[in-house]
Amino acid sequence: MHLALAIVGGLVPALSWIAAEAAGPLDERGALKAVTCSACHGAAGNSRSEAMPIIAGLDQVYFKKQIEAYAAGKRPSPEMEPYAKQVLELGVDDVAIYFSSRPRQATPVPSPAEAIARGRSAAAPCTVCHGPQGQGDPAKLIPSLAGQAPGYLREQMLLFKQDRRNPGDPTLAALKALMKTIPDESFADLAAYYSSLR
Amino acid sequence: MKGDVAPKSGPRVVVIGGGWGGATAAKYVRLYDPKIEVVLIEPNRQFISCPFSNLVLAGVRTIDSLTMGYDGLRKHGVWIIHDTATAIEPDQKRVRIGEGYLQYDRLVVSPGVDFQWEQVEGLAQNQDKVLHAWKAGPQTVQLAQQLAAMPDGGVFVLSIPLAAYRCPPGPYERTSMVAWYLKTNKPRSKLIVLDANQNIISKTALFRAAWQAYPNIDYRPASRVIGVDPGAREVRTEFDKIRYDVVNVIPPQRAGAIAVQADLVGGDKRWCEVNHVTYESVKQPGIHVIGDATIGLPVPKSGNVANAMGKITAACVVSLINGAAPPVLPPGNTCYSWVSDREAIAVVNAYKIENGKVVQIEQKLTPAQSPLVAQRAIGWTQSIWADVLA
Repeated sequence: MHLALAIVGGLVPALSWIAAEAAGPLDERGALKAVTCSACHGAAGNSRSEAMPIIAGLDQVYFKKQIEAYAAGKRPSPEMEPYAKQVLELGVDDVAIYFSSRPRQATPVPSPAEAIARGRSAAAPCTVCHGPQGQGDPAKLIPSLAGQAPGYLREQMLLFKQDRRNPGDPTLAALKALMKTIPDESFADLAAYYSSLR
Repeated sequence: MKGDVAPKSGPRVVVIGGGWGGATAAKYVRLYDPKIEVVLIEPNRQFISCPFSNLVLAGVRTIDSLTMGYDGLRKHGVWIIHDTATAIEPDQKRVRIGEGYLQYDRLVVSPGVDFQWEQVEGLAQNQDKVLHAWKAGPQTVQLAQQLAAMPDGGVFVLSIPLAAYRCPPGPYERTSMVAWYLKTNKPRSKLIVLDANQNIISKTALFRAAWQAYPNIDYRPASRVIGVDPGAREVRTEFDKIRYDVVNVIPPQRAGAIAVQADLVGGDKRWCEVNHVTYESVKQPGIHVIGDATIGLPVPKSGNVANAMGKITAACVVSLINGAAPPVLPPGNTCYSWVSDREAIAVVNAYKIENGKVVQIEQKLTPAQSPLVAQRAIGWTQSIWADVLA
């Protein structure tokens, strides 16, 4: 490689061919624009932590909608609002394409079997929208819950219940009404169950 | 080691310093272009996280839970030399280690900070008694032991240097965690904070709110410590003498020694000015400086920023070695601080590049302290430690 560069150093087309070949992941659309994301969301959006959500494999349109909601303060998050504005600056479409095309890897965070079992038996109302296996429905912008980080699922259910996620959004009114019927203690069980699905 | 420690067999990046910035840069150069050799020079055999180390002082976490090895980097093909880089020879593109040297095509220097002992009288000769605990490691454990051994009714004195220093909110998080520990375990004890700055310099309102729960804190702004006498158990400010049972002096800081030796620092002999896009030194072409040692960008000296600089620099270095234009990428900063054993606060900064300079887009703070923020803080460590080392 070093030798090759030295030989063809003066030839621009040859040089750029070498550069392109050598760059590898640098060339992948959106990869570099997502470079700050991995600090929280893990390699290629596959967070391995309990609280930070996996964003690999998210539907592009859903991803973009969330980034825009964060940036506008409609989905209040002190962490995500600045970063969402950064993503909009860099080009949200490229970043959405990048993450949506990453293969999703289920969370490695284990949950107690009893909590998973309790969650399974409490999950019936969730399946109406999120499907029997929590797989979601991209056409309706309903995200997959299967294999998602349990701490993130728990926190989001709480935020929905308290109307702190997208407060006042009419499209989420039914979901929030449902969350109000679920006791806080059950959120950990539901999170355990859905995070355990593959 | 003598002569050329490892003759180059292809393009090579040498990284000095295996902290948040250097370890990240080493890993990402290999990820971006496996044809480039990467050699990381780091004296310590283990990485110990400064973030979360204030929890060790309070007995909430163990130092082991913050300690990680470098095997993850080796799996990416990073060659690690556990030694100290003693000099840089930019004309020869060489780094000196012991009696030998290593050649590089591009050098990434991530030297962290060193302490300016001479700024506080009595500090240099009493480094074993007057602890800084500002580089997580043995001193963190020793200070925790001193705190645990302090009798109830004792006085803990914490001294904060003038900005700029590593981790702007760190001393205030330490204040919170020591105060929490004392309130919980030694309720008659007091914490005197001598801050050389005019006020709390980060997350000010959030720390003030948290300290409402800690009447044991005596916070004194504009109080620069200029001397310490472990015999008399006394620290001296410009106006006052304060007796202590346990003292923690966070000394003033500058870029790590190698940056000074290699003349990467500015006229102040403290910090390194860099290009905001490539992190190349404004003084030495071919040498990139990242992390706490840098100055002039509107970013805090934080682990998260060092991690972002590491990734961005890796992308630039790989591009430059391959004859391509470096990408233009801004960093970001996510910074959590604990204020008790179960609650935390956060500040987040996002940046863009405007006319070749890093410019802040926005800074956001959590509205209040909460256990949910603390859970996200734990999530952040799990993710970012993996981004740096795994």
